[in-house]
Amino acid sequence: MRNDTPELVKKITALFVVAILLAGFFVAFKEMPKGPSVNVNQRVSRLYVLKNVQTATKLMKSGNFFTKGMKPLRSDVPYTPIVFGKSSNLEDGAANVVTSIVVDYRGFDTLGEVTVLFLAATGVAMLLFGKEKKRKKKTEPSLIMYVGTRIAFAVIFLFGIYIFVHGHLTPGGGFPGGAVIASGILGLFLGKNGYEPNHLGLKVFESLSGMAFVIIGLTGLFSVKSFLANFLPTGTIGDLYSAGFIALIYIAIGMKVGAELSAVVNSMIVDTEEEWS
Amino acid sequence: MIIYVATLVVIVVIALALIAVFSKKLLSSIISMGFVSLGVSGLFFFLQAPDVAITEAAIGAGLSTAIFVIALKKVKKGESADEE
Repeated sequence: MRNDTPELVKKITALFVVAILLAGFFVAFKEMPKGPSVNVNQRVSRLYVLKNVQTATKLMKSGNFFTKGMKPLRSDVPYTPIVFGKSSNLEDGAANVVTSIVVDYRGFDTLGEVTVLFLAATGVAMLLFGKEKKRKKKTEPSLIMYVGTRIAFAVIFLFGIYIFVHGHLTPGGGFPGGAVIASGILGLFLGKNGYEPNHLGLKVFESLSGMAFVIIGLTGLFSVKSFLANFLPTGTIGDLYSAGFIALIYIAIGMKVGAELSAVVNSMIVDTEEEWS
Repeated sequence: MIIYVATLVVIVVIALALIAVFSKKLLSSIISMGFVSLGVSGLFFFLQAPDVAITEAAIGAGLSTAIFVIALKKVKKGESADEE
């Protein structure tokens, strides 16, 4: 559409497009084949997953789950319900299904995610972190701000560490824990003009935890013959020392994400001179 | 009971999202976007996805709002330097 088109025509066209899209959406929604009705409260809860697992196990036992000619995968293992704090030596000891999928069964995807975040942080640093400008006289934050952010930082840092250390027991994990730690570091930046973290330390920390992730994966490759496979005993579900390598990987991810996001905050907040201008 | 609370949160989130789109001031857009993230994280919690809720609250409501505000400050500084 040309630039000299009247504003009203543009608006009417946009409205028309939106109306067509909405109508198409509703038609598609109406024409969808309907299955048996599902109780929404059950659909999103653990109960439904458990029920499905039980149904699947029943079907596997009777032999109807797979087509003829295929053997049931683990029909020799009888299904027993998982009890928090009692069941031990499970296939995967994480308390949440999401955790075991994200870190254990699809751990390779998580490695990719961490790499994407690393590239994003590197890009931000490359674009923004140039030579530092001579500081103008800014208004100093008040003493209350300075002391308060320092006290809050300790609590926030501890909470972030708690989130990623308990990643296999509670919802959460490495990414939220790292983000919480970076929020604490942001508070430190706001509390004092010219606060500088140890850049080299951040980089080394981040690289070491990234390498720890890969080394844990390689240990799985050499001991269990599969990259990022669990090579530790899974223990009793609900214990801190359980779930095999999930805790180790979440600690590595948490430290890496925390260091990376802190570096992003640092390169955003520090006044710099653009090198190419 | 919880469905009414959830409906209220949805309405508030939609209103805040409209404010974020149509507001003239960029700062109020950013702040209302942070509140949208907060409401959405509450909705995730209602839908029994607490891990997503924690992530949304930490990244969407906390960190990205702060980074947007810093970016806005930097852009304004650049504009005023050009005018001088």
